[in-house]
Amino acid sequence: MIPVLTTDRLRLCAPRIEDFEHWAAFFASERAIYERGMMSRADAWRIWASDVAGWTLRGYGPFRVETPAGEYVGEVGIYEPDGYEGLELGWFVIPETEGKGFAAEAARAVMTWARGRFGWDRLTNIIDPRNVRSVALGLRLGGVIDPDGKGEDPGDVVIVHDLKRVAA
Amino acid sequence: MIPVLTSDRLTLRGPDARDIAALGAFYGSDRSRFVGGPKDAEMAWRQLATEIGHWTLCGYGRWMVDVTETGETVGMAGLWNPAGWPEPEIGWDLFDGFEGKGYATEAGAMARSYAYDVLGWDTAISLVAPANTGSARVAERLGAVMERSFTHVRFGEVLVYRHPAPGALADGGAEAYA
Repeated sequence: MIPVLTTDRLRLCAPRIEDFEHWAAFFASERAIYERGMMSRADAWRIWASDVAGWTLRGYGPFRVETPAGEYVGEVGIYEPDGYEGLELGWFVIPETEGKGFAAEAARAVMTWARGRFGWDRLTNIIDPRNVRSVALGLRLGGVIDPDGKGEDPGDVVIVHDLKRVAA
Repeated sequence: MIPVLTSDRLTLRGPDARDIAALGAFYGSDRSRFVGGPKDAEMAWRQLATEIGHWTLCGYGRWMVDVTETGETVGMAGLWNPAGWPEPEIGWDLFDGFEGKGYATEAGAMARSYAYDVLGWDTAISLVAPANTGSARVAERLGAVMERSFTHVRFGEVLVYRHPAPGALADGGAEAYA
């Protein structure tokens, strides 16, 4: 049911229960301040499981991103944030695999897949303005900041990706 | 795919989007005070999604409990083990107006049979909030015995009831998924 996508260096597939340990570590760290906030394992699990349920409920959701050898890199996919009426292209990369362009590579694959599968014209990123690396990645992928875009919290940077262009 | 379990009266089936109304009503009411509620509509939706994601990630979860004859959804029951849980649990919630008919006990027994006979669990617990006497009675009717208390990071103190082990149950309950 959850598709498998492959890129030059990566494999995108169904999330697995053991992936949660990476999310638990993330939400226990200050890295989470920009992203839903720090929280307990119990709360992090409930949110993560509800994200994964997107696959069943709507046919899209987060992909586990791994190397061809099966090593966990992070998660990239389509999310529906609380209080936001739209679809978000989201990414998460563990510290050990940052700086290799993996998130960008996986995000391109997800945009191409989303365009082909659903015919969507756009996806957005909603990013805390202090999360400069993530904003930079959104722009590097060809996204454009929508100055009037409404995010989840006041001040969020909203970056719009034109999928017609991405998946040419 | 989420399996469907049936007994004489009940059908246990996987939760899906159509259940948001029933879950929203339950979690919007004071009835949910023992199980993390009340929750607003948005959090009720997230709860429904968490229920479904639990199936995807763990391969088991909680079912919606329907009365087979009428199609009414009377509650949820099943197997639950998110992060922060002391160990895998058999749980049940009844929606307003469906108490007193033995539905929770019947659905709990069906879920336990599935856990023991299909998943191969060798033990199971049920968590009950200290003031939730109705739920405690269901646990006792199922033969579970209060073992200890556990403090959950968000729900606070809950009582841990231990179910009889598979070998101690005279009737394995194979009818549950006939």
